[in-house]
Amino acid sequence: MTTPTEPTPHAPTPHAQPASQPASHSPAPIIEARSLTKHFGGTRQLFMRTPTVYAVNEVSFAVQAGETFAIVGESGCGKSTLGRLLLRLIDSTDGRVFYQGKDITHEQGAPLRRLRREMQIIFQDPFASLNPGMTVGKIVGEPIALHGLAPDSAGHRERVAQLLRTVGLQPAYANRYPHEFSGGQRQRIGIARALAGEPKLIVGDEPVSALDVSVQAQVINLLETLKQDLGLTLIMVAHDLAVIRHMSDRVAVMYLGEIVELADVDALFDAPLHPYTQALLRAIPASSPHERRAKPALSGDLPSPTAPPAGCRFHTRCPHAKPHCAEVRPVSERLDDGRQVACHFWREIQNAGSGAPLATSVSPKLIERLAIYRERQTALASAGD
Amino acid sequence: MEFPSVTDDARRPVLEVRGFSLKFSRDADAPNLVDDVSFSVGTGETLCIVGESGCGKSVTSLALMGLLASPPAQRVAGTAHFEGKDLFALSERELADIRGNRLSMIFQEPMTSLNPAFTVGEQIGESIRRHRNVERRQAREEALEMLRLVRIPAPETRLDAYPHQLSGGMRQRVMIAMALANRPRLLIADEPTTALDVTIQAQVLALVKNLQAETGTAMVLITHDLGVVAEVADHVAVMYAGRIVEYGTVADLFDDPQHPYTIGLMGAIPSVGKREGALATIRGSVPSPELMPSGCRFAPRCPFAEQRCIDAAPPDKVIAGVHRVACWLAPVEQVAAPVLREEMA
Repeated sequence: MTTPTEPTPHAPTPHAQPASQPASHSPAPIIEARSLTKHFGGTRQLFMRTPTVYAVNEVSFAVQAGETFAIVGESGCGKSTLGRLLLRLIDSTDGRVFYQGKDITHEQGAPLRRLRREMQIIFQDPFASLNPGMTVGKIVGEPIALHGLAPDSAGHRERVAQLLRTVGLQPAYANRYPHEFSGGQRQRIGIARALAGEPKLIVGDEPVSALDVSVQAQVINLLETLKQDLGLTLIMVAHDLAVIRHMSDRVAVMYLGEIVELADVDALFDAPLHPYTQALLRAIPASSPHERRAKPALSGDLPSPTAPPAGCRFHTRCPHAKPHCAEVRPVSERLDDGRQVACHFWREIQNAGSGAPLATSVSPKLIERLAIYRERQTALASAGD
Repeated sequence: MEFPSVTDDARRPVLEVRGFSLKFSRDADAPNLVDDVSFSVGTGETLCIVGESGCGKSVTSLALMGLLASPPAQRVAGTAHFEGKDLFALSERELADIRGNRLSMIFQEPMTSLNPAFTVGEQIGESIRRHRNVERRQAREEALEMLRLVRIPAPETRLDAYPHQLSGGMRQRVMIAMALANRPRLLIADEPTTALDVTIQAQVLALVKNLQAETGTAMVLITHDLGVVAEVADHVAVMYAGRIVEYGTVADLFDDPQHPYTIGLMGAIPSVGKREGALATIRGSVPSPELMPSGCRFAPRCPFAEQRCIDAAPPDKVIAGVHRVACWLAPVEQVAAPVLREEMA
């Protein structure tokens, strides 16, 4: 879970494994946000001010080395902005970011470039995030040259080939251009590029949501293998709750720029505490036609982030809202198991029985056939090696 | 083809597609991109066509709507009867009268399918006035009624809004309002919720289901999302590389999936339940049209493939009732111990 993983002997490039930590209950987090805030706009233009977008508002959390940490929420909740703030790709309006215990909020120049090498990002759109005028070899090799990670040009080529193999591509592809590849292959190229700087932390900004189901499964499995082998820390920014359940150790749920709940993945999915988390999970389509049920829809639309509601930002849509919610902003309450929830009335809501776990069912025949399918595929794969 | 009299109307499928094949080439040897596809959908029913990019699901629906430019698209074989009329025999003018009227479509991307230069009210009104002889004012009234029906908040103000002023979920609801404005007999929805957030998706799916129950509209829903299928389908057709590889009721598909592609697809989807190991994968990728396998099109990616799969396309095998599968080897548990192929190419 949150313990750093040792690189396996077969790891393609055993690097950047987190320093072995003492068996303490609170190891220094690899990255930490403290009251991180980002507002866009609000600047003066000729005669009027542009509206201020309150994208991220006083967000605090810490990610442990070796963890897969998910940030989930719907469009416009600020999850991508938060991911970029952590990587210092954009500057925060307020609050601070710590990397391995060091305040990096105002880091510039050479130290920032060093950070950039250790913290990488994988983007959502594999068609827009690769430079169409560069060969795959150049795209993947750029960080190697930039950070001087290869002794000479032969070493450089070898490293590029190794990276391509790591993500399941043929080294010969180095001479091709992005347009020659499918979406899944491009995403692999994006991952190879992210790995080139030998990072410790990777932020995936919806890294699989543009992919077809079967390709998505390949990329998810690849990310998990790489994370294991290279001892990476993964921050997944995503909206697909099934992907998050599958991949993450802990999950932060965002609504209108704020974290409303943060918990271990199983705790969150089995017993969501915040009414927004409950609504989000209820909206997930059934896993089988036998699980169809009426979904009490969340009323109304997402308020504009230029004018977030006062008090609790969710109160305009919350089925449990009381007058108090419109007046006082709830503080994030930390429970015994480290779980955080920002709701005045979560105890009452929990006692009222909201937030029942999701029913999932898989037919026995599918389970049996899937087992045979996997067996066959494994046998074929080992025969092909 | 003979069709029964009007009294049998309720039992006659709204849409019946038989042996439909299509290619994007004049070359007689070129493989069909949609190959021998047959399905039907009745009043109030929902058929889901499931498959990944390039499986031919969207092309099939566009062809049915007469929205594919020909050339390059060439219908090679097959018929498509909509309310008894052969869609492929209609003139462009006759088609235009049916489209948006008796037969409607919702597209995936609500931003690009709405005209940015006209208000929502004008666009819904236009689709009403195109097909019915009503006054501008009445069309506006009806447009307002439709916006209420799809539960758009403050519909009076939204009627005069431009598409860019609406959120994605609202735009998709406007598309649905427009598609349903003339009470179509059949609605073809191509990934109607794919661009939407999960809470909006739940709203839109519930909305479509309710409207369908009220109006008896038949629906062909094209999607890659098996959760959406589990939620709304009556029947399901799984498409792979232009062919329907498995067809059945939604319970058939989820309780007794037969085709290795269906099985792989279901195993590749992460569950919202407790994690159970790595996801199943389907190795390789979808064949490109130029390199379409000549036998079973899934054979190069199928972990069970044998020589006969590579040699010849499997015929449909009836499992039970309407449930059919195009696979030599289904069900897979009767396949003997693994026989490894010599080459992995």
